[in-house]
Amino acid sequence: MALSEELVAPWAEWQESYQDGQRLLEAGTYALTEGAVAAGLGVFAGYPITPATDIAEYMSKRLPQIDGYYLQAEDELAGMHMCAGASLGGQKAMTATSGPGYTLMHDAYGWAIVNEIPVVVVDAMRVGPVSGITGAPGQGEFYVSRYCSHGGNIETIVLSPNSVQETFWLTIDAFNLAERFRTVVTILTDQVVADMFEDLFLPGDYGALSDIVVPRRHNLTMPFFPADSSEIDLPPNVIGEGTGVCVSPYTHTEEGYDIEEMEAQWSQTFRLINKIRHHKDEILRYEAVGLDDAEVIAVAYGATARTVKTAVLEARRQGVKAGFLRLISLWPFPDELFERDQPYLVCELNYDGQLVREVMRAAPDKNRVHFMGKSGEMHTVAEVCEALEGVAKHQKMPQQPYIWTEVR
Amino acid sequence: MNKLAAKYLRPELVPTKACQGCAIGAIENWLLQAIDEMELKQEDVIFGAGIGCVGRQTFATWGGDNFGATHGRALAVATGLKVARPDKKILLVVGDGDAASIGASHLIHAARRNVGVTVICEDNMGYESTGGQFSPTTPAGYVTNSSPYGMAEQSFDPCDVVIAAGATFVAETTAVQWRQTVKVVKLAMQNDGFSFVHIRFPCVQNFGASALGSRDPLVSMEWIYDHTKGKTDDGAETDFAWETGIKHDASNSRPEYSKVLRDLNARVRADMAAGS
Amino acid sequence: MKPRTEILISGFGGQGVIRMALILGRCAVDQGQRVTMLKSHGTETRGGYVRAQLVISPDYVDSPVVENADLFVAFSAPAYRKFYDLCSGKVLYDPEMVEDIHDDAADRHVEIPSRALARDHFDNALFANMVMLGALTRLAAMDLAVMKDVMVDVIPRAHEQNLRALDLGHGLEVVARRA
Repeated sequence: MALSEELVAPWAEWQESYQDGQRLLEAGTYALTEGAVAAGLGVFAGYPITPATDIAEYMSKRLPQIDGYYLQAEDELAGMHMCAGASLGGQKAMTATSGPGYTLMHDAYGWAIVNEIPVVVVDAMRVGPVSGITGAPGQGEFYVSRYCSHGGNIETIVLSPNSVQETFWLTIDAFNLAERFRTVVTILTDQVVADMFEDLFLPGDYGALSDIVVPRRHNLTMPFFPADSSEIDLPPNVIGEGTGVCVSPYTHTEEGYDIEEMEAQWSQTFRLINKIRHHKDEILRYEAVGLDDAEVIAVAYGATARTVKTAVLEARRQGVKAGFLRLISLWPFPDELFERDQPYLVCELNYDGQLVREVMRAAPDKNRVHFMGKSGEMHTVAEVCEALEGVAKHQKMPQQPYIWTEVR
Repeated sequence: MNKLAAKYLRPELVPTKACQGCAIGAIENWLLQAIDEMELKQEDVIFGAGIGCVGRQTFATWGGDNFGATHGRALAVATGLKVARPDKKILLVVGDGDAASIGASHLIHAARRNVGVTVICEDNMGYESTGGQFSPTTPAGYVTNSSPYGMAEQSFDPCDVVIAAGATFVAETTAVQWRQTVKVVKLAMQNDGFSFVHIRFPCVQNFGASALGSRDPLVSMEWIYDHTKGKTDDGAETDFAWETGIKHDASNSRPEYSKVLRDLNARVRADMAAGS
Repeated sequence: MKPRTEILISGFGGQGVIRMALILGRCAVDQGQRVTMLKSHGTETRGGYVRAQLVISPDYVDSPVVENADLFVAFSAPAYRKFYDLCSGKVLYDPEMVEDIHDDAADRHVEIPSRALARDHFDNALFANMVMLGALTRLAAMDLAVMKDVMVDVIPRAHEQNLRALDLGHGLEVVARRA
């Protein structure tokens, strides 16, 4: 019986539709730049930081060629505010950073979210805390990307690619979601996927992508901030068209006026949360292999998912019925993917355990959710195979050097 | 409501919610007068505000498009906005906290880039919306709620900072200089580049009470007036004096930031078309 | 071609390790293969060695990590010592750079005097990496003509010497014997 394989993401279809183009050997940062250009990027504003610096350099070369603008900000906080300003002015905007800069962006992040300003933010994660080791991969911003602003009362959209090719398509997708949901979308990539060179197909004519690219539109009428509404696909508000729109950091009315009435607070929150929660199915993206008969399901995202998938296939050759679940949309968290009452083995690049906590919450039996954390370097196929066998046959994680298994 | 307010502001949000004796409303009227004398329409100007008394009281009063930024970041937002909408005049009304403290790095770099915005820094010499703490523009030695023994740090004049950073128009006035303020705001908005107008005004409730010992608006206004002249009514020299007027005028002497970027694009694209 | 070929190249910074891997990878892409290439970054580079991990396959490569290299090119003694255990296939080394080799697996070692050859033929040891790439091309069963095309495309200067260096490595008797 053939192994069941499933990729639920818009580019599963896009890859079939677009076959004319060129094959290159390029890095994830390059694919990301081209994906943004293909999506109609107008302004990139950011501050160089390893391993996202190459994105800034590619942008500085590429954007003037397409009459776009590369702004080098004084810091990441300014960079994301510039993006929000450019987006309000009608341009698709993006910034890219790593953990230290991502943390600085949160001021603007919340402002863009509450004002429903589409912006795409890239975080190429490296091991931390703080500067950590600049050239080593990490997955430490899983929760930070969800709670990327203070004060609560928001949902966020976060996507994570695991290959150079997927980075290209996913970047277009991120821009589409930002437009459709009028919000910030984070691309949570990592040092490996960002820096890795890999064969990359690029369509020859980005103009031919107009069927899949959501264009920028302008909302020219009230309500600017529809209260108690979870409607999506509304055009973003625009400054400079004389609509009289007001954007601000305050709880707002439908016009955008600041207000201190609880009813307005509740209406605004209803919209910010439910425009995403009520359309979770439009955001869900994942890859699954061999779940049907799986006796243990390995869960991972980003670079980690690369070795974990190889390990799952290898474990199957060794007689362990292993399944593979790769999350692509991380937030809103896809609880529905964890309904199977099976043991889960969650692999991620941190010792504290982040993704694993959400899986524990979503899975039927949290005692059968196992953690396999590494720090600063990729899981190896051999390690994950051993762990899959341990969980499948003995219901416990084997002891392995430099691998953390405790969450509590 | 006066004629200018009726012409440019939102009737539902005027008059200002500021404390009695505060000059924020009066200064906004002077800005309107400058805008009116320049024959600008609502749709010609994008109005951006900061956080604090100045941001809160002016936000969404402008009848056209508005934004209120996070604290200190109005200039960063405006930088991106100007690149996207180079055809608009952007007027930023911010406080001393926004301009000189939390957003000081954006101020410096917007001046360096010569971003085409006019920054009106309405300086009440302290953090007044949080109840009156000292700021980088509080005169040294003065008592505030966070300097009960006198402000121990040295203050600075943000005009000096933006001149050093490359601003192309810089002026300073106070809340007792109506005609001069209107005049320099007009000059500022005629500069296709980074303009900075620093306007000192009194906070009666906090600065007046803590530093000057009175909530009487007249006491605060007289103190401002005296320091603008450098001497009191009876001829005695004040403890310090503000130098007001145009401090630096290099209007339209170097290209505005978004134009620099557009010219760069034109050059790159021409080279591409020429096949080089 | 095998379902998965793993190649590990390591040496000091400045020896052209990454460029060699990029040319090799491009060559594989141009021959219709799927390729991943991880390069060491920052700290690892400053630690005395640069590493490139290449995986070449006719199908999509899942794990890009080299755990069992089919081919390992060691340009320096520290690189040789550090990554020797990750290779179960052939080890290409320059005896000038790697003097002490493991004596348990002599049959897996392929001695390529790349620096000496580069000096003899071009009066410049810098061409050593192209000599090595020529040898690697043959041992990895890749097309020399495609490799030459890519090399000319990637390297801006000294095409004539670089092409000859490729031929030199490709034509070595010890390489022909092990291919």
